[in-house]
Amino acid sequence: MSWRRWAPWALLAVVVAGALAVGASDGGAEARGVDDRVRALAGEVACPTCRGQSVLESDAPTATAIKAEIRRRVEAGESDDDIRAYLVTRFGPGVLLTPESGGLTGLVWVLPVVGLVLGLAGLAWAFQRWRPEEAPPVDAVDRALVERARHRGGEQRSSGGTGP
Amino acid sequence: MSAALGWAGVTLGFAASVAGLVTLATGLIRRRPALLRLAPVYALMILGGALLATAAMQLALHTNDFSIRYVAENHSRATPLLFTISTMWAALEGSIILWALVLAGYVVAAVHRFRRRREDPLVGWATLVLFAVCAFFFGLMVGPANPFVQVAGAVPADGPGPNPLLQNHVLMAFHPPTLYLGYVGFTVPFAFAVAALVTGRLGEGWLAITRRWTVFAWGFLTVGIILGAWWSYEVLGWGGYWGWDPVENASLLPWLTGTAYLHSVMVQERRGMLRVWNLSLVLATFSLTILGTYLTRSGILDSVHSFTESDIGVWLLAFFGATVALTIGLIAWRGDRLRSPGRVDSPVSREGAFLANNVLFAAFAFVVLLGTVFPLLVEALQGDRISVGRPYFDRMTTPLGLALLFLMAVAPALPWRKASGELLRTRLQWPAWAGGAALVVAVALGARGVAPLLAFGLGGFAAAAAIRQLAVAATAARRAGLPRWRAAVGRANGGMIVHLGVVLLAVGLAASGSYAHSTELRLEPGQSATFAGHSFTYQGMETVELDRKRRITARVEVDGRQVYEPALNQFFFARQAIGTPSVRTGFTHDVYLTLISAPPEPDDPAVIGVIIQPMVTWIWVGGGLMALGTALALLPGGRRRPAEPVRAPARGTAGPPPDPVADDDPVEARA
Repeated sequence: MSWRRWAPWALLAVVVAGALAVGASDGGAEARGVDDRVRALAGEVACPTCRGQSVLESDAPTATAIKAEIRRRVEAGESDDDIRAYLVTRFGPGVLLTPESGGLTGLVWVLPVVGLVLGLAGLAWAFQRWRPEEAPPVDAVDRALVERARHRGGEQRSSGGTGP
Repeated sequence: MSAALGWAGVTLGFAASVAGLVTLATGLIRRRPALLRLAPVYALMILGGALLATAAMQLALHTNDFSIRYVAENHSRATPLLFTISTMWAALEGSIILWALVLAGYVVAAVHRFRRRREDPLVGWATLVLFAVCAFFFGLMVGPANPFVQVAGAVPADGPGPNPLLQNHVLMAFHPPTLYLGYVGFTVPFAFAVAALVTGRLGEGWLAITRRWTVFAWGFLTVGIILGAWWSYEVLGWGGYWGWDPVENASLLPWLTGTAYLHSVMVQERRGMLRVWNLSLVLATFSLTILGTYLTRSGILDSVHSFTESDIGVWLLAFFGATVALTIGLIAWRGDRLRSPGRVDSPVSREGAFLANNVLFAAFAFVVLLGTVFPLLVEALQGDRISVGRPYFDRMTTPLGLALLFLMAVAPALPWRKASGELLRTRLQWPAWAGGAALVVAVALGARGVAPLLAFGLGGFAAAAAIRQLAVAATAARRAGLPRWRAAVGRANGGMIVHLGVVLLAVGLAASGSYAHSTELRLEPGQSATFAGHSFTYQGMETVELDRKRRITARVEVDGRQVYEPALNQFFFARQAIGTPSVRTGFTHDVYLTLISAPPEPDDPAVIGVIIQPMVTWIWVGGGLMALGTALALLPGGRRRPAEPVRAPARGTAGPPPDPVADDDPVEARA
């Protein structure tokens, strides 16, 4: 009767998958309004004259100018990638707060993934190592001993687990 | 006068730290218990020195003693009382006084707490380490970062006052001390970890002793970080609260390793495993507070928060290097005693979940550290300037955060050792459906995007799991004839309340990070506009000339009801105007108003920035709930009989390790 036990979970899986399928599409970057696109792009651009702030966070004159330029280009119908490419040609690759995925810089993306995979692999290896030892063989004498103990002490079962 | 007092305090603190260090070292090495009993004398002298330095600095600030360079550079006669007090931590040298004061407070508290065990070498070595850390920070004040240096040349009549950003909001008076109570608090578990390594008493004794200290420090660090985010939100005017700035990252790093430690420590208490790992987490947490201070105070990383920099960087780096080298050396030396006798029977168990939690938190910390220092590494290796910011951190940490939410939902239901499928099905069914319901409701309300939807669904799952645990505890309390509130007290139950706070925080982060809308409205006086279902009427502006700044306030009526007043502050000594946003707080969303550009004439149009920030309030409420849960976790919980003798002695020691835990801090509520 295992299907009856799993039925609620299967139903839940269907519900979750359905809700995610409906909700997965956010219409893409270009479907948003001008102001929201400017805001999102400004958050990806380092303010060249500030200290560790993005253009979005800064009120410095340079940041204000870059925000105005982003807004002008968004309103002119350029795509987000075009605007990013423009900013890179104008200020150099360091202007984008998203590090490149190639070359030495790509390591910043790769190293954490490698670290996480190694960590999980290490954990899996540790679980392998910790696998319980083979249960010692049980012979008739042991069974008789258990039977006798059970009859003598009555059926004292532990409820098992810590929950209700 | 105050300079002389300050000098006396700093020198007293330094001398007492060094003398205490030497005395305890002699007492421990030559085995003279009489010397160990002197610890409180030195601790009180250190506290006296720190109090004297603090009093001297406050006196200098309140009496406008501009002959002291720190006061001349960071204070002005016009600074209001509250910000005059907080000027002590507005720049580097003064903030080291605060650090030393908090540290001295912790040292005295620790020495008092363990007063009956002063002759115990474990406590002796821990006190010695505390004195060594004190010696370092007082040494900074005696040498390279002396806060009481005199000005060169003539004494100025007035000063510029603290950075304008630091005198704009009352939170500035509370955020740094709270954060320091967190940062510095990890020194106590660090000291005991080192002492455990030195004495070779690597059982669970030092963990039990420092459990509450760690939870206490963690709670303050949590609150400090959230107060900082709140300050950013209320003051900086861009509508956000977290910028992945190096200083913010530096405070997050010890929080991440500290959180990992709070979880993994339970595995060692229960099963005697993960000894090296737990030691490493404590040592890493302390080292990361020093590294963070170095990164943000040395000026090698640009940060909006590093309000001053100086040449103490090399000292901090040296201290960090020495700490790391010492701790790695100690672990290597004690390697033979650190083998864990325990084993994990199944990955699907409480201990398995804690291990997964630790891998995720370690990865999270690695991402934050790597992203913060990577531009330095690339510049050193290639000479290129690159930037690593929000897009990187968001993309890398979102999956980790979601995975942690999932663990938070499942782990409380997992029993120790091994879980059966049947048990999990029963325990997780209703929490899982609650998560599904949260997901469906979010989609029905129009939420889109996989990551935020997963955050809502898993958040609902985790919240229901925590509530289920609390309900189970309440039933157990009733059966045992105890009052119902017992179900909210103690480490396990308080922890579940912290989890509920984390869920609120995660939902708030996901919603505000994904669904903020903004616009800029150009309005004539009297003109109205509508955005995102709200109407905005610009009623006009007013200019107030204060003695140090000009404040231009725009009056904006929202939805025809209340008037909000975003402002621009032009400080006369600063080039850039500083905005003061005005926020209408709400349960579903905030309306965040800024004055983007002030009209040149009162009748000209003003440009008002409007940001609709969904569910930001949930972050602050979640933070409050985390603080409440932490406080409840510090209270003694329902005592549970140790279920079974699962703690085995360390290998290589004859017999059970002599860890006299019971007389001082009973291990309780090991669930």
